[in-house]
This record gives sequence, structure tokens and C-alpha cells, in this order.
Amino acid sequence: MIIGIPKGLLYYDYYPFFESFFQGLGANTVTSEDTNKTILDEGIKHCVDEACLPVKVFHGHVASLRGKSDLILIPRIMQISQGEYICPKFCGLPEMVKNSIPDLPTTIDQPIYAASRKELFNWAKDSGGLMGASQKMIRSSFDEALEIQSRHNPGIKDENFKYTIALGGHPYNIYDKFINMNIIEKLNQMDVGILTEERVGEEIKNEEVKFLYKKPFWTFARNSFGFLSYVSKEKNVDGIIYISSFACGIDSVIIELVKERIGNMPFMVLKVDEHTGEAGLDTRIEAFIDMIWRR
Amino acid sequence: MKVTAPHFGNVYLAAKALFDGLGIEYIIPPMNNKIALELGSKNSPEEMCLPYKIMMGNFFLALENGADTAILPGSCGPCRFGKYAELQMNSFNRLGVDLEFVVIDSPGELGLTELFTRINKISSQSERSRYMQLKSLLKAKKVMNLIDEIEAKAHFLSGYEKNRGEAKEILSSCKIQSLDTDSPDEMIKIMEYHRNKLQHMEIDEDKKPIKIAIIGEIYTIIEPFSNFNLEEKLMDFGVSFSRKLTPSWWIKDLLLKPIRLNSLKINRSANEYLSIGVGGHGRECIGEAVLASKEGYDGAIQVFPLGCMPEIVSKAILPTISTEKDFPIMSLVVDEMSGEAGFITRVEAFIDLLERRRSNVLPRT
Repeated sequence: MIIGIPKGLLYYDYYPFFESFFQGLGANTVTSEDTNKTILDEGIKHCVDEACLPVKVFHGHVASLRGKSDLILIPRIMQISQGEYICPKFCGLPEMVKNSIPDLPTTIDQPIYAASRKELFNWAKDSGGLMGASQKMIRSSFDEALEIQSRHNPGIKDENFKYTIALGGHPYNIYDKFINMNIIEKLNQMDVGILTEERVGEEIKNEEVKFLYKKPFWTFARNSFGFLSYVSKEKNVDGIIYISSFACGIDSVIIELVKERIGNMPFMVLKVDEHTGEAGLDTRIEAFIDMIWRR
Repeated sequence: MKVTAPHFGNVYLAAKALFDGLGIEYIIPPMNNKIALELGSKNSPEEMCLPYKIMMGNFFLALENGADTAILPGSCGPCRFGKYAELQMNSFNRLGVDLEFVVIDSPGELGLTELFTRINKISSQSERSRYMQLKSLLKAKKVMNLIDEIEAKAHFLSGYEKNRGEAKEILSSCKIQSLDTDSPDEMIKIMEYHRNKLQHMEIDEDKKPIKIAIIGEIYTIIEPFSNFNLEEKLMDFGVSFSRKLTPSWWIKDLLLKPIRLNSLKINRSANEYLSIGVGGHGRECIGEAVLASKEGYDGAIQVFPLGCMPEIVSKAILPTISTEKDFPIMSLVVDEMSGEAGFITRVEAFIDLLERRRSNVLPRT
């Protein structure tokens, strides 16, 4: 049995878990290609116009897996931490995909509540059951997958560069080189290192969030705000670049909260959508780095 | 202390009844208009949704009229509405404007004590006895239910009326007269009188008007300014239509949510296409579309503000419902840049389409 794993949205954070879980059950996994123009075009063709770029890209990845796999994984991630949400579009992602892309094979779309091991196991039980695996196999490959996931440590903390920039935004905007037009490499070439939110401890972020009037109810908001608020307080970076997809509801809130908090730390928001031109993006990055250099 | 609250459909009438009953000074912001929208857009983050911007405008205009305390209900996601209060507080702080916010959140988030402290901030201004306070709360609730009932009735009857425009006339005179009085009891009487009048309106039972269900994001469907008076226009066209989401429905839904008895019928209908809540009223939108197709409506119109996350999910699902149930559904997106002419043209075209489908001018497949 071949299971298709689309390389979109939170893939970059959780692929070790999904891959090893399905492989443990004796299935083969196939991952879609890195995002490219064809995938983006497919995504735009199938997805509702109003959705944000990462969701469109995800549609493209799913479409490209048709015919290559017997089952396609569409993670319906409902919750990562207790009492928080991800984004409404994640909760309805399988429905969006299934109603927009024709000729799909069966999808694995059981809701994922990852706040506790027990809840997450419910997902494993359901999805494993769909593949006809036994309870015992599911249990052992679930444990192993979690073990492998815990060793996965994404995030970037560059050293030995002249300047350091905090790169904020949703993981899929930061790690998908096509969406952000390879911003990380571009910055590195300008002798600018990068720090991302994963490299700032969970407790520190939770501490920073207490400055807010109301505890954020999105995991993304807690992470991004906590991280950016912390680095601007500690002044261990020279500036902040925030990559945001056009019409992202959560970013529209985060960016406002961050602006309110960071004082005079240089801050630039890069909006990306399917029409973003590379030249314009390059110019803005160069101008921003120039500005930091002159400070 | 002069209290104000942003517009939310017909809630201003209930709020008026409540504060009149409590004897608290309050300011109703001027009815939503271009000035409110412009002021709001100017002082809001560009990518926030339309309701946020109009509410900002409401606060500015209420401030001009002397308000100093704003009441705002909160929610705890995943829709953006839960974050309105914080962003708006920051904005007014930055502008140096003195506007105190009282955010009424769910007790689960705040804890009961904090919730009561906040409510007390307002109710302590009232000199009436506890009994009278409770009574005026009940009266406000009655006003809310009455106006929602009258509105629904007028919307339904507008397709059947013998004298064109009578239902609309009664509805608007009811709102105007209710706003004029300063006594909650008087307001209830006025509403009951108009309800009666609607009940005895001359109707033509042989008429078979086009029936439309209005679905989508709650603010943009109950707030006439945000959808270019869509409902008034539908009444002018002699369409009979219904909208399940109303402020009184919203309150009931919130209260019943913890015990999972909210909107059973709608949620059950949604299960076929969307079995999990996606925040806001995305799931309700799906459920209502399915219900409407079963209840013999001719079509449905979905309205939502640009970038509304839950409604984008439902918009992706609606075409499937439309195909499978052979039920026309049109989605309209509104924001501060929407143009009235384009919007209304689409509504007219949609009604034309429904009429022709009925007379089978176009072959059905």
C-alpha cells in the first residue's frame, strides 16, 4: 500500500512522525515534490480563490499525488496544545480538499488532537484501522514514530554572520523555499544569519505572552508573539522579518500585537501570495538590510 | 459613565431597552454609515475583516457623542472575533483616546469572579434594585426575541403581500417607533402592535414567490450596511426569504453550547458535508444550505467578509452541495472596497436565474 504525504502546511514540522508511523505499519510512503510552479498552478486551479497561498499550495501537492498513491494523508490538525486552536482552515482542510479536487483516492483525515499522547493515539488507531493494521502493530509503530518525532528538531540558529535577523511567520512560510523565494539563502548570502522561533524555549514564549491582555487562542500566535517579543526585549537580533501570506487572518492579528510590543526594533512584513514577484521581494530585503547596516 | 456598544444587527434596540430599564446613561452609535466605515478603515489594520473596521467606526462616532465606556462581547476563537477587543484597546491607547473597555468573555476563560466584577462595573451604575435590574434584563431579552420574530415574519411575508411594500413599511416603522420611546414596556407594546399588524396583513396565498435562504457570516448578514441593504432590496423584489442566524439565535446558541444542545437541526444537517466545527459559523452555514435545499427553497445566498477564515472553508464545500442537491448557491464577499452596483447586479441576476429555472426556460440537467 502506498500512502501519499503532501509536502505542504505543517509537513515540515511533523513529517518524521507521519512517515515513520505509516512505514511501521508496513506501508510505503511517497512524498510530493518540493513546491514548484506546476504544483502552485494546480493548487490555484482547484482551490477556492479566497484561501491563502499555503492552503492553495497544499491543494497542489494533494493533486500531484493522485495516481501515485492508494491513500492520501490530509492531516486535520485540530489542536497542538491544550486550550488552543491552529487555524479554522486546518480544521476544515480535508473538506476543502475533497470538495475541490476531483478523482481523489481515499483520504486519511481523522481529526488530530495532539495535546496529549492519549488523544493522539486515537488518531493513530483510526488511521491504522483504515489500513487494516492490528492494534499491536499500531501501538508499536505509534510509539516509535513519537520517539523519532521527538528527535526531530527544526529551527535555524545561524552563527558567525555579521548580522542576525529573527525570521517570524508560520513554519510553512519559512521552510517552503518556493513560497518565500528562498529568502533564507538570500539573507545568508548578504552575510545575515537567521534565528527562528523553535530555538527559543517554550517557557520563555509562554512568559512573554503574559504581557497580552488576553491569552492568545492560536498556537501560531503564541509562538510568534512570544518569540518576537522575547528577541526584541533581549536585543539579540538586529531586526525582524515576518513572512505572512496575503489574507492570513491570524497574521493580521499577530502583526498588530507584535508592532505594539517591539519598540524601535526594525520590523518588516513580507506579504506573499501567488502573484508575488521575486524582484520586488529582493529589493525589499536588500533595502531592509541596508537600513540595518546604516543604523 | 456613558456606555456604548458597537452595532450588531438589531441588538441596539435590546440594548436601549436594557439601559433604559437600568437607568444607565448610554450612547447608541449613529447607525452604520460611510463615515463610520471610513473612520474605522483608517484606524484599523488593513487585513482585518470588515466587522472589525465598522465596529471601530462605531466607537469613534460614539466617542464624539460623549461615550467613555465600551462594552464588547468576546469569544475564544478560533475565529478572529475573540481578538477584536485587544487590538481595539491598543489602537485607542496609541491614539491617546480615553475609552474604557469592558469585555464580556465566557466564564471558562475569565473565571466567574472576574466575569462578575466586569459585569458589576456596569451594573453598579444603576440605582435600581436587583429585582428591577433582573426584570429589565428579561425585558431586553423579550425585545430581542420580538424584533427578530417580526423581522423574520416580514421577510417571509414580503413575497406574499397584496399591497407591494407593506411588509417592509411595517418593519421599518416598527424600528423607528421603537427607537423613539424611552420606556422598555412601551417598546414591547409597539413591537407587539406591529407583530399584530403583520399577522393581519392582506396576503395572496396563491402567489408562489421565489424563496431564498440567506447564509454566511453572522455580522455581514444581520448588519444591513455591510451588505448594501440586501434584505431591503430582496423585499422590494418581492422575494420571500429567511435567515436563521439572528442575535437571539446567537445568544441561545452560546448558552446551549457547553451542553452540546445548540442548533441540533442545523448541525445534524451539516454532518454529511462537514462534521466538525471550524469556528465562527462555518458549520452552521453548511447546515443551513442543506436544510434550505430540503425545505423547498429556490436558492441560497452566502455573504461573508473578505478573509473570513471559517467561511472560506464553507465556500469550498458549497459547490458540492449545490451540485448534489441541484440547489443554486451564490457566494458574495464584502469588504470596505465593495461597490454597491456590482453587488446588487449579481443579486438581481441570481434571482432572474432562479425564476427561469422555475419556469424551465433553461433545461435542467
